[in-house]
Amino acid sequence: MHQSLAVAICVVLLTTTAARASRSAEKVWSGLVIAENVAEPQPIPSELTRIETLLKKFFGYNQLKVIGQSQKTLNTGQEDWLATSKFFGLHVDARGETQGGYVLNLKLYKEKELLLETEAKLSKRSPLVIKGPQVGGGQLLLVLVVQ
Amino acid sequence: MKTFEEKWTAWLDDQLSGCELSDFEASLPDKAAAHAEKAEAKKLGELLKRELSVHPLKNEEFFSHQLRETIVRETGEERPERGRRTSTSSWWTIPRLVWAGTASLAVFLICTMFVMHQERAPEESQYLTQILNARVDPVVSPNGTVSIFEVKQDRVTVIWTEGLQTLPADYAAK
Repeated sequence: MHQSLAVAICVVLLTTTAARASRSAEKVWSGLVIAENVAEPQPIPSELTRIETLLKKFFGYNQLKVIGQSQKTLNTGQEDWLATSKFFGLHVDARGETQGGYVLNLKLYKEKELLLETEAKLSKRSPLVIKGPQVGGGQLLLVLVVQ
Repeated sequence: MKTFEEKWTAWLDDQLSGCELSDFEASLPDKAAAHAEKAEAKKLGELLKRELSVHPLKNEEFFSHQLRETIVRETGEERPERGRRTSTSSWWTIPRLVWAGTASLAVFLICTMFVMHQERAPEESQYLTQILNARVDPVVSPNGTVSIFEVKQDRVTVIWTEGLQTLPADYAAK
């Protein structure tokens, strides 16, 4: 009787631990993207293929070029990281995991100048796109995707 | 018509009477020997009756009998118990393995359903990224505004800014 109880408890613990472990450690891709219209558009980066149609339709450009990116694995949901290009920097500060996503504080810098700050609950199934400043004939976009 | 043997048996049992008795006794060749034989037969009958009848148990015999019965009963109960113990000496018998497997499978399915339900819940309620707050720096971009769009069809949230400073094309450098 005691043996069977012990075995049952072990089975429950192992199963729940395995199930929980399989859910953790997700990657967040954050990118600085220049959207512009060119005669011969380059192929779109793989991270953006899912939202390619939306981005092109929404912003009206035919090329999406990544000028800075970062891919961070979130284990605790408390990490912070930086995606930078030559002049821009996107600082992402994860402030915990919520049901279905992460709470993130985002700051966009132009060199050392803060342009934009936002706090968002980034869903694991819903990318976030931020329209940044106009850059030449194109548009700076910030994209965050949970992979 | 009774034979001599029948009449003899009846005479020994005192079943003859009247003229039948006097006729039979008159027919006996040696009356004294016959009476002696009858007396012997009666003695034997009484002895047999006394010895063969069920006699009540004395106290000691009764308790011995009870004790013996108890011992026999307990021994009888112990035997199957011992047999059961030897048969369960190995815990992983086939029926138990089957039960353990079934129980493990059931627990696994319950846990899987629980985890899947937990994952599905946010999918239904908050599948879109939510913006808690957003602002442009009023010093750098005094005319800057922020709007939020949720494109539910594509499950994308867009923060749309207006009035930010336009930058030269050099800023698009990697």
